[in-house]
Amino acid sequence: MIQLIFFLSIGALLFASLFLLARRSARPEGGSGALVEARQALSTLQAGLLPADMVKRIFTQEDWEYVRSVAPQKVRELFMEERKRVALLWVDQVRAQIRSLRRFHRGSARFYARLNPRLEMELAMSFAALMGACSLLRALVYVGGPYAAPRMVGAMANAAARACKVSEESLSFLNAAQLGMLNSRPAGRAAL
Amino acid sequence: MDVEQAAEDLRSRTLSEIPRSLDRLIYLASMRDYNTGLYYHDGLASRFTQDVACEALADCHREAFSELVGCSLRELVGQMEGYINATHTCPRDFVTAWKKLEPYRVAVPVETDPVMAHFLFSSFKIALAVLEARLHSVPAEPAA
Repeated sequence: MIQLIFFLSIGALLFASLFLLARRSARPEGGSGALVEARQALSTLQAGLLPADMVKRIFTQEDWEYVRSVAPQKVRELFMEERKRVALLWVDQVRAQIRSLRRFHRGSARFYARLNPRLEMELAMSFAALMGACSLLRALVYVGGPYAAPRMVGAMANAAARACKVSEESLSFLNAAQLGMLNSRPAGRAAL
Repeated sequence: MDVEQAAEDLRSRTLSEIPRSLDRLIYLASMRDYNTGLYYHDGLASRFTQDVACEALADCHREAFSELVGCSLRELVGQMEGYINATHTCPRDFVTAWKKLEPYRVAVPVETDPVMAHFLFSSFKIALAVLEARLHSVPAEPAA
């Protein structure tokens, strides 16, 4: 009787493992979805979040000087509150996109034989450092406001831009035509 | 290529007459059908095609948005003052309506980066507060 229960338990465990494995492979890690997501994260970072003029625009003190010179205390407080919110959103978005890129390189890189292991190691280190920097910057902005760590903002944006460049080089074997096939949209709707 | 030509045509014939990027943003947003997100301009569509006109309008809309995001807060306040004067709206009514309705939220192009859109909305909010404070410091004109 004990033996029967023992073998039935082992059978149930094996069946559960098989079920979990089947569920895992139902979502292919090396699929085009992960790749498109990684390319989108790269494009969002490079075109939207990291260009120097955009970073400067969000964190510039010029606007603060203006508000301080023309507006009463209530408006100054509103300004600081609003800019802090935007700064936190920026940090969160950078972190989310870096996390997305890291997920691709960590989870899907092994499916692409042409990825360079040395570059992947370099990227892993950069991503880890960037995630740490994002958390620290978020805490600083949260406590001290949008102008709490201007040098760190610049340094983080530069480091993120460098990591993006390495990631882009790492994925450069995927040509535009292949990505176009993955990303194709019906004509006339591209304005949307 | 056609889209580039159509955009250039739009810039030279129409947008060059609209000096401020805020006005251009609002004008181009008004060319968009809110139900479909597609842009319509009969004149441009007759010279090119509807699809090309739509793409060109979308390009110019994105351009106006980028220009406005690039403006400093001082410039944005100046643009809003210019817009109020151009539309012959009472400044107090304008500030009240914009604070309540936040019409700028529907004026941004689709697929705009959320951080940049949020940044612009936030700048509008601050600019409106600056304008309101300025209005409060000026005594209201007595009713006729």
